[in-house]
Amino acid sequence: MGWNRRQLLRSGLGVGAVLLVAACSDGGNSGGPARRGGTLRVGALGSAARIERDPHANLSNDSDFLITSLVYDALTVPAADPNVAARLSNRWESDAERRRWTFTIADGATFHDRTPVTSDDVVWSLRRLRTVGGASKMPAAVEDITADGPNRVVIALPEPNTQLPLLVQLMTFTVKKDTTDFTKAIGTGPFRLESYQDGNARLVRNERWHGPAPLLDAIEITMFDSVTALGNAVLGGQIDLASNVGAIAGRTAEGRGDLRVVRRPNDTMVGVAMRTSDGPFADARVRAAVRLGVDRKALVNQVHSGYGTVGNDILGTGDPLYDKTIAQRTRDVDRAKTLLREAGFDTGKSYQLLTKAEAPGEVESAKVIATQLADIGLRLDVVTQESNAFYDQTWLKAPFYTVSWGTNDSALFFATKLMSSGSNRNETGFKDAEFDAATAKALAAPGDSEYAAACRDVQRIEYARGGYLVWGMADGIDIATSQVRDVPTLGGFARVQLERAWLAD
Amino acid sequence: MAFARLLIRRVALLIALLATVFVAVDLLPGNSARAVLGREAGPDQIAAKEHELGLDRPLPVRFFEWISGVATGDFGRTARGRSINELLADKFPPTLLLGGIAFLVTVVASLVLGGWWAARRGSMLSRLLQPTTTTAVAIPEFVVATLLILVFSLATGWLPAVTITGRSGFPASPDMLVLPVLALAIPQIGWNTRVVRAALLDAARAPHVESAVLDGLSPTKVLTRQVFPFALPTVVASFATTVGMLLGGALVVETIFNYPGLGAVLAGSVADRDTSLIAAVVALTGVVIMVMLAVADGIRAWALRGRA
Repeated sequence: MGWNRRQLLRSGLGVGAVLLVAACSDGGNSGGPARRGGTLRVGALGSAARIERDPHANLSNDSDFLITSLVYDALTVPAADPNVAARLSNRWESDAERRRWTFTIADGATFHDRTPVTSDDVVWSLRRLRTVGGASKMPAAVEDITADGPNRVVIALPEPNTQLPLLVQLMTFTVKKDTTDFTKAIGTGPFRLESYQDGNARLVRNERWHGPAPLLDAIEITMFDSVTALGNAVLGGQIDLASNVGAIAGRTAEGRGDLRVVRRPNDTMVGVAMRTSDGPFADARVRAAVRLGVDRKALVNQVHSGYGTVGNDILGTGDPLYDKTIAQRTRDVDRAKTLLREAGFDTGKSYQLLTKAEAPGEVESAKVIATQLADIGLRLDVVTQESNAFYDQTWLKAPFYTVSWGTNDSALFFATKLMSSGSNRNETGFKDAEFDAATAKALAAPGDSEYAAACRDVQRIEYARGGYLVWGMADGIDIATSQVRDVPTLGGFARVQLERAWLAD
Repeated sequence: MAFARLLIRRVALLIALLATVFVAVDLLPGNSARAVLGREAGPDQIAAKEHELGLDRPLPVRFFEWISGVATGDFGRTARGRSINELLADKFPPTLLLGGIAFLVTVVASLVLGGWWAARRGSMLSRLLQPTTTTAVAIPEFVVATLLILVFSLATGWLPAVTITGRSGFPASPDMLVLPVLALAIPQIGWNTRVVRAALLDAARAPHVESAVLDGLSPTKVLTRQVFPFALPTVVASFATTVGMLLGGALVVETIFNYPGLGAVLAGSVADRDTSLIAAVVALTGVVIMVMLAVADGIRAWALRGRA
């Protein structure tokens, strides 16, 4: 085996990283020591028809995901910088090729029934995740996940991948070996399941958790079918925290002294995919014209109610390596018109902008974009499709459609998943040899500086000739009563990390 | 005999309706394999799931298998693998409770209001009822629900805005039922009050009522003995229709109030293209409506006994 300790990933710093992140996560607005005790009542979105208790299945309900990630531990969890932190695994390292990854199980990790966590349990869970969840959740084949001693697990990948610690965050929920019935939900997480009723659950503190003990006595999770009901529940004082409730409720809560709006930046990207391989947007000049033709600030204000930030046509804005040195694109109607003319673009015709009511503001964004692009001579008909129909007929196929991605993954994650030639989710039909070479280089980068350099190249190509219009990022909006402290402030699924929260008097 | 023929006709109608549901869901773009697996799933995963769910078989075969299961009392499984029987057993009782209370409130309120209105034409109350009942009929449940929440919960704080489900699967406290019941019942009260009034006035014009009045019977006796029995068939038919409207309205109202019931299940199952689940909900509500229609028929036959 050819790996040596100099090539340890710097991100694998261990439990210290968790503490650091916890210390950084602002939430409360007053000082004073954290108080132990109390029950936090949380509302989260979810639909009764989609209830799922299997931690390795596709968890489409926020409420189920919240319960799962408090009851079970994943190997790693999201963080700010570095963007991945330790959880059940406190240390990880790879070989020089970035293909063989070893994760070490945290000391003192035990299941809720007091049995210690062994590498057999983790291997069983990871293999099951691969079988049930498929390659998108666990990139290694079943036979390539093996135990290496009592507390180490090896994941061998077919291709080099520096991103593996990130890819396993909040996915690799560990259950006891041979578990297939999850009604008892015996995990290793900061909370134990006390009761469960149709998507609603009561969780109590796990005093023996291997991480820093939670302060809350209990968390009660109520499932809400609609954001309206979720917003009303927190406005009416029936819950303490409304998770991911959206900008409209945020505006309502803003004026209330007893409530606090928690903004989590870089939560959701709502943008436009332009087909680069063929069709009217294949010419890079046309795409540049579209990118110059929109007023990003106005879009953020109108579509996200101002709860967001302007984007620069690069995905992965929450990545610590997101390139802030690239000049911010601003509106230039004249330049856009010139580019369309140079490209010989037919402005006599009108083009379809397909959209769906999936992410909040997605349909509205299409309408605003159509109005704005009329100024550069691009005529758009906004067509709203039902979500299921959209994924059947439009996604990956149409020349011009809105997209949304709700994660805080790395720039490289989006590059490989959405823009590399071989990707099966290539939303823009992007095929660029230079781009593929840069992503491959980043995936196999032997050290931090090589990785950072390759990530910069990836982002510069995306910015210069990619197929995405990333006009802005929406903040995730949670509403909490003023007693709730230290709730997550990271975007994306980091919202489920409630183990550090506490209630002030 | 006539009753048996009617029953067969209604069951046949229900089966035809369920077949239509199967065809309609099949015609919708997208499929449940994709919905269940999410957009991350690759084509081979989706194909495997489609096979597992039996979506690769012809529609008539799928329908036949499902309906033969239903005949033995088994509604099958959801696309996500849950037993539909269990799901319905969990979710139907709360809907029945909500709809049942709303129905009782509707019946009582519209009989009282309609009776009062018929008896005192030109009074203050009737001048008020004329526009309010029309408005109540015209406003959809979700508007009523939103207004109720704004006034009685967010502005005054008198009643909870949403339902929090207790461990029993029913609302954690009874006051959580008030607003959903009102949101469901108000439009129905508006409609039925008008029907009751019209039916009573119609019946009061009958010649035997006039002779009863001339005979010197008290107004109460005239109303209960002479007028009401004649108005009953119309009123009961209207109430029977209300059951269907209440079940339909529950779908919307349950979502707004986060009420744990069948409505939320149906909404999610349509998004998931979960044919068996949608059809099961339709079958169940269909049976409830059929039973109510049968009850209405029975009352009608009893009210018209010896007359028709």
